[in-house]
Amino acid sequence: MYNVWKNVLAEVEQKVSAANFSTWFQDTSLISTENGSIIVGVKNSFYVKQLRSKFIDIITDSLIKNGIEVKNIDFEVQSTNKSKVRPREVTPFPDSIKSHTKSIKKTFESKSNNNGLNSKYTLDSFVIGSNNDVAVAAAKSIISSPGTRCNPFFLYGGPGLGKTHLVQAIGNELVKNNPDYKILYTPVSQFYSDFIDAIQNGKGKDFNRKFEKLDCLIIDDFQFIVGKEKSQEEFFNIFNNLYQLNKQIIVTSDRLPSQIKTVDERLASRLTMGGAFDLQLPKFEDKCAILRAKAELIGAEIEPEAIEYIAENVNTNIRDLEGEFSTILLMSEVRGLTPLELIQNGSANINHIRKPRLIPSKQIVEKVAKYYDLPVKEMCSKSRVAHIKTARQVAMYILSKELSLSTTKIANEVGVKDHTTVMHGIKKIESDLKLNFTLRDQIEEIKEKIYG
Amino acid sequence: MEIEVTQDKLSKALNNVSRIAIGKVTLPVLNNVLIRVDNNKVSLVTTNLDMAVIDFLPVSDSKNGTVTVPAKLLAEFVSNLPKGEKIKISAKDAKVTISTGKYKSVINGSPSDDFPELPEINEKEAVVFKMGIDEFKDGISSVAIASSNDLTRPALTGIYFNTDNKTLCIAATDGYRLAEKKLIKNVESEINVIVPTSSMQEVLRAINEDMEEIEISFNNDLVRFRLGEVEIISKLIDASFPDYRRLIPKDNDITVELDREELIRVTRLAALFAKSVNGSITCESKKPNTFSVKSIANELGENDSSIETEVDVEGKIRLNSRFLIDALNALNDKTITFNFSSRIAPVILRNKKNQDYTHIVMPLNS
Repeated sequence: MYNVWKNVLAEVEQKVSAANFSTWFQDTSLISTENGSIIVGVKNSFYVKQLRSKFIDIITDSLIKNGIEVKNIDFEVQSTNKSKVRPREVTPFPDSIKSHTKSIKKTFESKSNNNGLNSKYTLDSFVIGSNNDVAVAAAKSIISSPGTRCNPFFLYGGPGLGKTHLVQAIGNELVKNNPDYKILYTPVSQFYSDFIDAIQNGKGKDFNRKFEKLDCLIIDDFQFIVGKEKSQEEFFNIFNNLYQLNKQIIVTSDRLPSQIKTVDERLASRLTMGGAFDLQLPKFEDKCAILRAKAELIGAEIEPEAIEYIAENVNTNIRDLEGEFSTILLMSEVRGLTPLELIQNGSANINHIRKPRLIPSKQIVEKVAKYYDLPVKEMCSKSRVAHIKTARQVAMYILSKELSLSTTKIANEVGVKDHTTVMHGIKKIESDLKLNFTLRDQIEEIKEKIYG
Repeated sequence: MEIEVTQDKLSKALNNVSRIAIGKVTLPVLNNVLIRVDNNKVSLVTTNLDMAVIDFLPVSDSKNGTVTVPAKLLAEFVSNLPKGEKIKISAKDAKVTISTGKYKSVINGSPSDDFPELPEINEKEAVVFKMGIDEFKDGISSVAIASSNDLTRPALTGIYFNTDNKTLCIAATDGYRLAEKKLIKNVESEINVIVPTSSMQEVLRAINEDMEEIEISFNNDLVRFRLGEVEIISKLIDASFPDYRRLIPKDNDITVELDREELIRVTRLAALFAKSVNGSITCESKKPNTFSVKSIANELGENDSSIETEVDVEGKIRLNSRFLIDALNALNDKTITFNFSSRIAPVILRNKKNQDYTHIVMPLNS
């Protein structure tokens, strides 16, 4: 129908003046041709009379020429807000936004797979270890009875530890068990931009309503809600609605809600009332298990020694671990050497991951001081006040681990007299780390700040 | 076609209609005014295809016929003629002769065939409201200031006419502030449409002292305003307006009563220092009796003024001074209420006595 109307317009254009054409025909369209009753869509009522009185003969002629039966022609004012270009569509990253809006729509229209879930994430491919077994157990209980225990399910942990994988796997399993289950997976950034979109198009109410029909809502990377008060409020409403209906809510974040700045206390406490589960850094054995599983999955052959070498040397997160693993496999394919040979002849140097670049020691001291909200001078003083002392020891620890400085040098940097003090400080932090998760998180955050 | 009319009447009518005929429209005839004489009824018509203005001109003598003339040229010519003169306009083959005493000119018009026919309101189906012109003018102008001119968000470029609990309300927002006025109480019909703010402004401009009542008719995608001898037809905006009642906070816990003039004065003072920070000022209520308005511009200095008023709850809010001044100008009581909360929630401004008008301003993030 669109093409027919294009032809008609092309013909009309030749018969009427350019001014008339661009004024009267520019925003027209063909709505219906059923049984010879033609309906032409126009911009608003101002166009109807003129088209009818001045141009109806030309339109009729052209339609007949294009093989359309014409009994009568009517004009109808059509909605313009659909056809107009929305500002969102010219901003950067239009694809992700568009494809996501599509996926939202489809989720509600049909029960197809367009619910934001990626079917490559399955529970089978999730390697269970001591670092994540509790979270996985909780995930399994959700899969067997969604919306009852562990609701809301709050999952947190550093980047690249498998948060997205685990929650997507839950979603995929739920859909597998019950294809009618309505699920939506959305990163908070998309939630936010969709929300803005909806508001801009005056559909704020519909936005909310769309979520009401869900059986399960998965929100990823919740920490990015920072500073988006309106979205947070909207999410809070949606959360409450779904929660009251006993629908499963799953939220992931890189830290606990109470540690995310500007998250409303009401929301923070609600998010963790079903329990907060964390994914920790994998231990050596876990890493080996992950790599073996990965090798099996892609059918690659790799020596156990190579796996151990990689596991030992990548200490950041699972994403980096898998990344390095893939790089080595690729290199071994290209060079025709086995992974172990590559490692032995030194071509596969992993250490760069651990130390992306050398940061001046001064900067590290400053970052640590800033993190603990202390002036550098105060932190590097002789104060024995507990929190200042801890900050100083953290600085020593990071200097030693990240820059491998000698204890004497570190003593200079943080303003203590003796290198034995430094040795004690590092040991103290190391032993604290085993028990004190907050401290571990803090150090991770500081490192992120240093390298970020 | 021939008419005889006094200069002041003609000039006023041409002023009303010619504004929208000066457009960037591609069709030249839309820059013309249509003069139509039918049985001693003379109408001047212009349109830009989004709206049309019709002015019925009282004349002393006339002969039937129609013609179109460049609107701006005719309006300027007539306005420069001596006041009180009797003007005679006659048309023959699209040549329009305007003569009065010593002045005479011939303007090349064009035949009226090209001039678009105007859409009509279906009187039977139309939803009609009538109200006093002064209330209408006050209501519209107090709401229109909050309207946006961002064409990418069409719904916000209009004034939202809606009925709620048998009350006709109008509202506008640009996303940073929102104004609502309860216009007519106890209405029977229901309505839910957006009228372009630009059309509303034409209606406001057409208002003069002699007018008493305005009739508003909604039908399909059109609205018609009838006021005195002027009739304005406009399209409606095809979009849905945000559910604005949800934006008005219900649990703001701090209310202070302030003298409107005084608050305008201190806000203006503070605004002088707030230019470099985008007009950001801080309003603060302090027990027992101080309401202060502050602004700081690092390079200029700072300003801190206070107003005495009763304060029960202490709190602080940062606002854009321009929006606050706009809101205060739209209010009209001597005393107004300033209702806010220390949480990040909009401030609600109302007249103390008459609660029909609500203006809310979003706070700035601190």
